[in-house]
Amino acid sequence: MSEINENLGKQEKSQRFQIAEPHDLSKRSKWLRDYYFKGAEREWNNQYMAFTTGTDWDIIWNEGDYYIVPEVHTYIGNKGKGVFASAFRSMAVSVKLPENFWELSLPERRMAFFEKVMLDYIPQEIISENDLLGGGRFNTQLSKCLNKNEASKFWKMNLEIRRKLFKFNKSGFGNLGATGGHIIPDYETILNKGFKYIHKKAEENYQKLNKKEKEGSKGQELRAMIIAAEIPRKLAKKYAEECRRLKEKTSSHERAEELEQIAHNLERVPWEPSETFWQGVQSIWLTHMLIISEESYPGPGTSFGRIDQHLWHLYKKDVIDEKTITKEFAKDILGSFWFHSNTAYDAMIKVGNQGITSGYGQLITLSGCGPNGEDLTNELTYTILEVIDEWHPILEPKPNIRLHRNSPEKILNRIIDIISRSQGAPFLINFDEKSIAGMVTEGISKQYAWNYACVGCLENTMQGNDRSGTVNCNPNLTKSIELTLWNGKNMPGNFIKPWTKDGEQLGPKSGEPENFKSWDEFWNAWKEQIKFIIKFMVEINNMTEELRGKYMPTPFLSTFVQGCIEKGLDVRNGGPELSFVTVNGVGFATTVDSLLAIKKLVFEDKKYSIEEIKEALINDFEGEKYVVMQTILKNKAPKYGCDNEISDELARKVMKTWGDETWKYKTPTNFQYRPGMLSWNYWAGAAAQFTIATPDGRKRGTYLSNAMCPTDGVDNKGPTAVTNSVGIALGGKTEGGEFINYLPSGSSHTITFNPSILRDPEHKEKFKSYLRGYDENGGTCLQINMLDADMLRNAQKHPENYKNLLVRITGYNAYFTAIGKELQDEIIARESHRM
Amino acid sequence: MIDADMGLIFEIQKMSTEDGPGIRTTVFFKQCPLRCIWCHNPESILKKPQLEWLKHKCIGCKTCIETCQEDALSFLEEGLNIDRNLCTSCGDCANECPSTALHMYGEYWDLDNLFHEIQKDKVYYTTSKGGITLSGGEPTIQSEFILELLKMCKEKGISTALDTCGYAPRKIYERILPYVDLILLDIKEIDSEKHKNFTGVSNDLILENAIWISQYIDTNNKKMWIRTPIIPNYTATEENIKGIGEFIINKLNNIPDRWDLLAFNNLCTVKYQRLDMDWPLKNYKLLRKEEIENLYNLAKDIGVKNVRWSGLIKKEENSNKI
Repeated sequence: MSEINENLGKQEKSQRFQIAEPHDLSKRSKWLRDYYFKGAEREWNNQYMAFTTGTDWDIIWNEGDYYIVPEVHTYIGNKGKGVFASAFRSMAVSVKLPENFWELSLPERRMAFFEKVMLDYIPQEIISENDLLGGGRFNTQLSKCLNKNEASKFWKMNLEIRRKLFKFNKSGFGNLGATGGHIIPDYETILNKGFKYIHKKAEENYQKLNKKEKEGSKGQELRAMIIAAEIPRKLAKKYAEECRRLKEKTSSHERAEELEQIAHNLERVPWEPSETFWQGVQSIWLTHMLIISEESYPGPGTSFGRIDQHLWHLYKKDVIDEKTITKEFAKDILGSFWFHSNTAYDAMIKVGNQGITSGYGQLITLSGCGPNGEDLTNELTYTILEVIDEWHPILEPKPNIRLHRNSPEKILNRIIDIISRSQGAPFLINFDEKSIAGMVTEGISKQYAWNYACVGCLENTMQGNDRSGTVNCNPNLTKSIELTLWNGKNMPGNFIKPWTKDGEQLGPKSGEPENFKSWDEFWNAWKEQIKFIIKFMVEINNMTEELRGKYMPTPFLSTFVQGCIEKGLDVRNGGPELSFVTVNGVGFATTVDSLLAIKKLVFEDKKYSIEEIKEALINDFEGEKYVVMQTILKNKAPKYGCDNEISDELARKVMKTWGDETWKYKTPTNFQYRPGMLSWNYWAGAAAQFTIATPDGRKRGTYLSNAMCPTDGVDNKGPTAVTNSVGIALGGKTEGGEFINYLPSGSSHTITFNPSILRDPEHKEKFKSYLRGYDENGGTCLQINMLDADMLRNAQKHPENYKNLLVRITGYNAYFTAIGKELQDEIIARESHRM
Repeated sequence: MIDADMGLIFEIQKMSTEDGPGIRTTVFFKQCPLRCIWCHNPESILKKPQLEWLKHKCIGCKTCIETCQEDALSFLEEGLNIDRNLCTSCGDCANECPSTALHMYGEYWDLDNLFHEIQKDKVYYTTSKGGITLSGGEPTIQSEFILELLKMCKEKGISTALDTCGYAPRKIYERILPYVDLILLDIKEIDSEKHKNFTGVSNDLILENAIWISQYIDTNNKKMWIRTPIIPNYTATEENIKGIGEFIINKLNNIPDRWDLLAFNNLCTVKYQRLDMDWPLKNYKLLRKEEIENLYNLAKDIGVKNVRWSGLIKKEENSNKI
């Protein structure tokens, strides 16, 4: 029956396939969703508003926030004269500064400025009669409030960093830079104690300081935090006033009551503890929005954590026990939350559609286990899943669903039901046992590690006390192959003026590989080069972290990240109890497969010499001479991802080796480096472009492998085989069956299935079992796509018919029609697992 | 060569969802005693390994021609020509082919390696109540090998299924079935004469075995599924379905746990071409939905429990069942 199996669905898939559509939305939610999608045609939007201190030297747009996005490098320009910086300067509104402004310390200046802008310069608006939450405009570009001396020191250091960063990036080492967002602040405290408690805590800690400390940086930071903790109350009050104003104007009795309730909510939260579900959602939203405003960074990775746990007691009281609101109304409250989250994308609304690099991963984490492995799924989890399902396709907030050994059948059924109706699962699935093993690797005890959650795309962190800088470092592991083959130099001819010279000695001299007698010698040389790459990366990233810590504090966010008030240190300056910088290895499978090809074909089979391999790479496999060689390299060496012991063991060793290097370093701001494997679009963009041909047969410029995934097309043994490989590369399990995970930040794995896998109840059951098996044998995080190449090709030709077609890569959603043709082709070329 | 130590296998399919319950690894054994006109796996029929050439993978480097010691390969205008009379199935050309365009159907596996391959997916068998399925061809032809394999699986707690055409001596089933949890037995055509015309053999032995197997599984707490390929102009008749249904009810005492009707598909046309074999059904069209559903309803109405149908049907508006 094998032939039937492989071809099931082939003839019928195009008609089987349906693009997901929003459904069953209430009138209110439908209006908000439709309104959002009107985009630039809306009369209201949330585009960037820029504000300046009015000085000649003012810095508004911080290029450092965008160092990890190489597409933006072109626009940086010199000393704030680039496109973005100039545009924001010219549009910036001059803020009337308090009289003593320049006498204040930098953190206090920042908060005084922030407060002034949020209260007096940005209008407080309720978006139509359908909005149930206060909190409209939040996309800001705020002055960094530097004085002349600070600005001059900032630029001196920044220019040095920029030079180094460009060299790093343009010679193919990857990208890096301290980046905003990517944190789950302490929402449990905001909900249950309010900013009032935080304000008091900051005051108390300030009072504990001695005179000298009060005058020093601790005192400055704490005073700024004291100002900061009151901003939410003041802003909420202004929103409440706006509600009352609208209440006077409305002719609808029902709406008047709603506005009164919203006003009442805002007079209470986020200052006081939330007493109702509505207040809880309001409290989280207004707080979240203020983080984005303060960081002037619209939402990337600013995440909510386990929202079905945070809000459960309120939902249970209001919807289930006391029935003060209906489930439908609770969904409408969440609907407003969904709407506002998406308006983060308005930042550049006039410039155009947001593609794959629009990294606004405002994550919510759902379901998952408790301290003893018990399941914590509740009624609110299912209500939120309904909202996700009914609003889909939509970009924000992005859900991650935690599964584990004791996940109930009900949640798996619900997940599979949603997947079967969408072309890509509208959520990522995170696997608890493997993820928790990773948290334990970074030193968190099992007693706490169960309560981890995801930020950004899929990065695992703790909640409320952890900043793990989860996208700050993205080294291109593949560069190690080039450096090993050329004894620490770039390949001849591979350089970009003025950043690198031809044949420049970049890495250590690890030996001329032509002279290596054995694979072990090659392996040891490779290890020297990979160590160098991590060290080189740390050296530059440390500077970006230090610069940011020094000149761009965020006292507001710091107030509710545990550890910051206690230490009197900013969240960007080593304040959080858990402070990490995550290093995301890029091009993992390309690296492993390249090593495997050299091991097998050079050292074992002696089919080719190192000289021949190098010559072929220099020629980028161009010319008749190299056709056969390239084909053999592609097909005749083992590959990672096929559940083959030899290749997966090397994959594991490569993972352990580079990961271990990261643990050796800390930033000057006291953040510990840790490994992870999210690769966003780096594998497809700059890293690929700057990576020479590789010994696995890949040509220059072709995309590198993505995150934990095998190289495209080599994983031909089916989904279970690739799942097993991924689990093993992350460390597998101990002999006693304990999970091992080398990557605490987690690792992204995407599998594309043919829709026929979910064609009937029997097959849905099988798929459920596959997910349970994934939990045992696979990685930490799985993206499931249900795509079909015919449909994608059609979408390329007729984008107008596929506006809603959402594609997810490594946890990033993008509308297929909005991404470039190259990436579209890449997605089409992906191996689709037919079962 | 074929004995208890080595099995001749032409495919190992992981995460199979079509050969029994749960997630399975299906091992396809070479050689078959039947010659079904509609055979979907022509590569399974013969005892010897067979070479195929995949045009879309070929880079035209001619390594194969240089490798072949028998001069069995040559490039013609339409592509690589394999002289089947000269080819000794040595496999050297496939080993040397840079692009994997040349592929041998049939590879010898020893027991330990095969078991090692199978147990890699043990977790999924457990979570899904799946296991392994021995299929083919006809696995019972390699009875010594599969007996050892099945014993090994049972010892290690892996559930087993045997997909058989039923055309094997009773003695073989008697030896093997103690190590099999589920028997997938084909009853293709109830009329003995027609059966002989369609498959080359009469169904007398198959039906006798079916009766014995059904009694065996009934007393030994095992499961049995009947499978019937639904082939237009051949087995896709009401008469046949009625006949098999009544046989299941009356002779097998309605013991089988499930009856699968498997709709004809024509996707194997290309495999016949690649093996230089002619296929009389190459121009046959897929069944229409009403045709298969009609037979399915008939089967259900006879009273057989748990009747299912699957497979490809003709593309129609508003139809999305596969």
